[in-house]
Amino acid sequence: MHPHKEAILAETRRQFFSRGAKGIGGIALANLMAGSGLGGPIGGGESIGGLPGLPHFAPKAKRCIYLHMMGAPPQMDLLDYKPKMKEWYDKDLPESIRKGQRLTTMTSGQSRFPIAPSVFKFNQHGQSGAWISELLPHTASMVDDIAIVRSMNTDAINHEPAITFIQTGRQVAGRPCIGSWLAYGLGSMNEDLPTFVVMNAEKSHPKSGQQAISAKLWSSGFLSSKYAGVGLRGGAEPVLYVKNPDGVSASVRRNMLDGLSELNQIQHEKIGDPETLARIAQYEMAFRMQSSVPEMGDIASEPESTFKRWGEDAKEPGKFQNAALMARRLVERGVRFVQIYHRGWDVHSFAPEVLPAQARDVDRAAWALIQDLKERGLFDETLVIWGGEFGRTIYSQGKLTPTDYGRDHHPRCYSLWMAGGGIKGGVVHGETDDFSYNIVKDPVHIRDYQATIMQLFGIDHERFTHRHLGLDAKLTGVIPAKVVKELLA
Amino acid sequence: MYRLLFRQVVTLSLLSAAAFAAPPRSASDKVDFQRQVRPILSDKCFQCHGPDKGTRMADLRLDTHDGALSKRASGMTIVPGDLEASLFYQRITHKNEVLRMPPVYSKKELTVEQIDVLRRWIEEGASWDQHWSFKAVKRTEPPEVDNASWARGPVDRFILARLDQEGLAPAPEADKRTLARRVALDLTGLPPDMGVLESFFSDTSANAYEKLVDKLLESKHWGEHRGRYWLDAARYADTHGIHIDNYREMWAYRDWVIQAFNDNKPFDEFTVEQLAGDLLPNPTLDQLVATGFQRCNMTTNEGGVIPEEYEVIYAKDRADTTGTVFLGLTVGCATCHDHKFDAIAQRDFYSLTAFFRNTTQFVMDGNVSDPPPVLVVPLEEDRDEWNKLRAEATETDAALKRLTSSGDAVDAEFTAWLKSGEYRSINAPLEESAQQLTLSLNGKPEIEMGGQRQDVSLHGGAARGEGPDKDVPALLFGEESWAELPAQALDSDSAFSIALWLFHPNEAGSFIVAGQNDPDDGSRGWTFEIAERQLIFKMTGDKSEGGEEGDEGRSSVTIVPNNIKRLPAGEWTHITVTHDGSGEWAGLRFYMNGEIIPVQGSEYFTKVQGSIRVDRPLMLAKGDNRGRGGRDEIKTRYMNGGGIADLRIFNRAISVDEAKVVSQWAVVKRTSEKQPGQLTSEERDALRLYYLAREHKGYRDLMSRKSEIELSWRELRRRGGVTHVMQEVAGHEPEAHILNRGMYDQRQELVKAGTPPALPPMAASLPRNRLGLAKWIVDDANPLTARVIVNRYWQQVFGNGIVRTSDDFGSQGETPSHPELLDWLAVEFRESGWDVKDFFRMMVTSSTYRQSSETTAAKTKKDAGNRLLSHGPRFRMDGEMVRDYALAASGLLVRKIGGPSVKPYQPEGVWESVAMLASNTRHYQQDSGDKLYRRSMYTFWKRSAPPASMNIFNAPTREQSTVHRDRTNTPLQALVTMNDPQFVEAARYLAQKAMREAGDDFDRQLDYMSTRLLARDFGDKERAVARRTYEGFVGYYGEHGQDAQKLLSTGESAPDEALPAAESAALTMVANQIINLDEILNK
Repeated sequence: MHPHKEAILAETRRQFFSRGAKGIGGIALANLMAGSGLGGPIGGGESIGGLPGLPHFAPKAKRCIYLHMMGAPPQMDLLDYKPKMKEWYDKDLPESIRKGQRLTTMTSGQSRFPIAPSVFKFNQHGQSGAWISELLPHTASMVDDIAIVRSMNTDAINHEPAITFIQTGRQVAGRPCIGSWLAYGLGSMNEDLPTFVVMNAEKSHPKSGQQAISAKLWSSGFLSSKYAGVGLRGGAEPVLYVKNPDGVSASVRRNMLDGLSELNQIQHEKIGDPETLARIAQYEMAFRMQSSVPEMGDIASEPESTFKRWGEDAKEPGKFQNAALMARRLVERGVRFVQIYHRGWDVHSFAPEVLPAQARDVDRAAWALIQDLKERGLFDETLVIWGGEFGRTIYSQGKLTPTDYGRDHHPRCYSLWMAGGGIKGGVVHGETDDFSYNIVKDPVHIRDYQATIMQLFGIDHERFTHRHLGLDAKLTGVIPAKVVKELLA
Repeated sequence: MYRLLFRQVVTLSLLSAAAFAAPPRSASDKVDFQRQVRPILSDKCFQCHGPDKGTRMADLRLDTHDGALSKRASGMTIVPGDLEASLFYQRITHKNEVLRMPPVYSKKELTVEQIDVLRRWIEEGASWDQHWSFKAVKRTEPPEVDNASWARGPVDRFILARLDQEGLAPAPEADKRTLARRVALDLTGLPPDMGVLESFFSDTSANAYEKLVDKLLESKHWGEHRGRYWLDAARYADTHGIHIDNYREMWAYRDWVIQAFNDNKPFDEFTVEQLAGDLLPNPTLDQLVATGFQRCNMTTNEGGVIPEEYEVIYAKDRADTTGTVFLGLTVGCATCHDHKFDAIAQRDFYSLTAFFRNTTQFVMDGNVSDPPPVLVVPLEEDRDEWNKLRAEATETDAALKRLTSSGDAVDAEFTAWLKSGEYRSINAPLEESAQQLTLSLNGKPEIEMGGQRQDVSLHGGAARGEGPDKDVPALLFGEESWAELPAQALDSDSAFSIALWLFHPNEAGSFIVAGQNDPDDGSRGWTFEIAERQLIFKMTGDKSEGGEEGDEGRSSVTIVPNNIKRLPAGEWTHITVTHDGSGEWAGLRFYMNGEIIPVQGSEYFTKVQGSIRVDRPLMLAKGDNRGRGGRDEIKTRYMNGGGIADLRIFNRAISVDEAKVVSQWAVVKRTSEKQPGQLTSEERDALRLYYLAREHKGYRDLMSRKSEIELSWRELRRRGGVTHVMQEVAGHEPEAHILNRGMYDQRQELVKAGTPPALPPMAASLPRNRLGLAKWIVDDANPLTARVIVNRYWQQVFGNGIVRTSDDFGSQGETPSHPELLDWLAVEFRESGWDVKDFFRMMVTSSTYRQSSETTAAKTKKDAGNRLLSHGPRFRMDGEMVRDYALAASGLLVRKIGGPSVKPYQPEGVWESVAMLASNTRHYQQDSGDKLYRRSMYTFWKRSAPPASMNIFNAPTREQSTVHRDRTNTPLQALVTMNDPQFVEAARYLAQKAMREAGDDFDRQLDYMSTRLLARDFGDKERAVARRTYEGFVGYYGEHGQDAQKLLSTGESAPDEALPAAESAALTMVANQIINLDEILNK
């Protein structure tokens, strides 16, 4: 054990527990370190720094990799097969289906709502016989490992509020996101890396409509900002400021830190502020991060077999494939929540041209990710989610031709999939009408979806609250939400 | 036994914040309703038995005295002194889980201790009181204390009395250097500069400290530091925040805040001007700038946004912010239903939002830096001219209005003109010399240009057809048809106007109406197009505007009318575009049927760079354009199903009236056949306007005066800045609909603007608008404002508010640790004339403040978090202070006040990784020179990616009002202060200065640095540590010369090459070490 840490432990013991065993001191230290947002020391695999009483019951999932398809993938081109639409080509969406539901101002001025059947072929796959688009061949090959939800629905009709809603439970900024709630409630599982990591992956087709992402999506809202997501970037400095300045070697930094700790100790002896001890610990953790982060980010150290499975794109920083591989490396090292945003799904136009490229970015990587997790025995405890913030319209935005169409936003229904971490494989849940416009069976609202994620982590979403402005605020908000039992293994 | 239980409660909860609420005043341990009972009722009962009538169960309310003592079918709710008869008590202790309250499904549970408190409360008579913060503020006499000599003033007596009760003694007074550093940080946000420090150290007079305080209060940095806290509350930032998150120009508001604190503007005026400066009689420029407070909210321009939804969101944000900042109330909790805990009904919330609904602001911000209403903020030296022009513009408009309204003397002249019959020979809407091109469709399609006629070439089935009027035929276009006209010499430095009738086909989508451009040359030229029924006119030059990669950066100017002014589909509309030859955004205008139409925002000085002139035919109904960023293949768009008639191009920018005349040309033309007596009123009106615009000298003079004013105005604007302000819709009363569950599309009853009835009413004399609201907020009768504000000032200095939930003074907030002190301070502040400087002087000259921050194990235990102030305040500084500290102590700080925001060092990719391609805050272009070393409050604040280093130190995103920052302690923060070039450069700069000014001796160099960084010398033990590490560094850099060079070249400022590199690098690392000391990071 590092001498300074030992000194802190000693100090901590002296201060709080006169007859404390080492373990108690360790817990006290961990609580000091919970001030870091980076967790405390790992011991026997248990979490450090979470709330007492959590999880409420035995969790199925301990980690999550959330692949968010930013901009909203069109469900009828990917996961929600609508064969009848062939006969409806260029016919108007019947009013009996639209039911006067609101539209965005991007298409509310259209005089016609011509139906654009998907140009992509669908086939049945696996034991479950789920219909999957030809755009997702790798996803198709693992349908029995995943649960497809075809009846997702949300309240928001534009990206900014919708993505804020699915991530934080409210359409307007200010609430903690899912990753922050979990970091707050369950704490960290490693001592050298953040608890909650966020990555942004670029779109690869020039015509893809790109949506903005923003710090609010990984914000800890009213929770302490130590629970906010830590951005992980490709390239030389994966975590902001982690690199020493040019000309400062690890040995120089070590020398500086050794002196710093001593000086801080002297200060502590004089002032007696326990925060000073915590600060010493944080500097030590920062030093460890300076080596653990580059090690984690060193994708080149992966064996060639990795890239055989993932493809060469996984080597390129900024690509989704690379971020997904990084996600696997992160959860291997005990990071609890990895959020990846893949951009470019906002297909208001050129959908048939753009979608194959978008799908190519994510399909194989999502499959490779799950294979890797399985191989490492992590799949059962790692929840993997793939999906966007809302769906898209069956009717074309702008000009419709047999080979070209665009699709506007559609909050009434959409599809996503979940896997691992207590999710039942081979499930297809919920059903939409022939137009993929309304849900006809088993709707899953964003709140239900969020409640289900909490359930997988062993949390009763109703009891996991934080006092904010006088309210016991929770992820799922005040309107009742239900856990989708059908998805649970 | 009960007594024992209570003691247990106290012990158990020692570690929780509630324990620091004020103890009962007598030693009798009588239950305190306000402090002990009400919080339990609020937290466990009000949800179902509180103010919200919508969800109230069993028609029982426990938030009022009447409710708590009410008669029920089966008995009495509470009978004071009688547990047996109190149904309330029977139910909370019921053996049967089904009957016990709170019910299991509520997931709320009363602890044994809480039940005991409630039991004793009933036994002791069930006393009742209104929620403390809603009660009038009352001045209390400061308590007598034994150690009267310690107490310098009333503040100290309140604090000491409480310490006495807890058996704690205050800490001794801090030494001079600690005090100087602490008070400089609290009053200016900067460490004391050497001059101030030295004169304080050498001043042995009894009031040396008070003199120091006065000096610091006079510093211009005082306003910056106080202002910075206010900007968190005001949610000030430099971008709009939502979606594309483009630049927003409103730093003038930020500078107003700084100036207001430096002027010691009384807080009540400060409040009124920000909430309603525009509604004050004859508001000054500064009072208008102040209203920027209400324009700091986030805005959107996302493509599909339904404006009404965001109107609701903006008003809610403003009501929430006003509630939090001034009243400490969570009014937003009543958005969807009556407040669960405080007496604010849903109706009250919408009455409050009504104050903010009556605005001329359009929801969509247009992604421009200055969406109206905005205000030109001229330079100081231009202010007289600005005022003069403002007055003159008002007069000119009034004079013009007199002329255009009938019944004026003009009527007689007009009648005489009609009689002359001159109108019957008018053959063009404007003078011949102005006509550059006219499309004639009376026979075969041709154009007239300079007296010549030329054929128009039609393609793909374009044909002559019916137009907007029987006398005005049109060209109609099919799926892929277009017309080609000869090239026109339109350029960015020539004035021109394009007028035409347009039939918008019954289709959505985007298409080209007319244009001339060269897709192979970065789409250079001009284009008039329609997208989703919105008009767009764009000029693209032949030069790039710099900074952007590739051809994305080709400079262009685009005007887009407001979303609300979309073109009607399926009918003819007359459109005019004018350009005044400036090549600037401000030189373009759009008219629809002769009326000027508002455009999205007004990035006034965007200017097209270079020439737009291309030698390409003028195309109608077809255009070739590059796709996104100019990189995609050429996209050809047609105006499928549309029509164009009476196209005219003029060689000057025609006026608003001329645009109207042109649009009415068909009407004017047909009068040539008629006698004056036969004219219809439509024809008469059209002729009258023609007469004014073309023939009436007085009118024409006024019009040209108007454009002169406009040009002078533009010059003032060019030299100054622009800021966002509030503007009320004239002649309309503020009102809002109650919205079912807060949904914008579920309107219920319409309510007028008003304040919550649970608080003292608005005086009848006050107007029911923002001005009335502002005055009500600072009215003496308002129990909240003064308490909330003094509490926040206390929090800034002592680390915690007296009410720790400084954003919630409601039922669910924490009760004050020193309630009498809070009230005493509130009254004192108000009665001093809301004097902010005086208030801070009072705090920082108290003995309480001057205590040493040293603590003991006993104090840490009894007074964790220093809520009782058993020692001096010590807590980690905010990110801005940490950075400013390093800059100031090293001597790098540039002490300029105000001006546009700056972009200091930031790691690559922070903006790029989140921004949309189209965002103008996508690329972080780091500034250089002085701008790298400005105070952190001037750092450009992009909301979707706030300044990285400050964000790590808990700075908010400024997406919403923040009155309380978190103070975490994380490794990521350590990485910032160790590795951020800003800090490394400061260390190097200071180290090299020390080497130059203190000579070769390490001890003297160390003293030089520590005096500037810590305001003290290192002790022996510390000195030994510093020397040892220094020697280690010297050893390393002696051997690694290249590393020394690399380290020294961190940052933009040049290192001193004359100094030895190894020693410079080594001392830089020592400075880096000191800058990372816990002592530095804490105030």
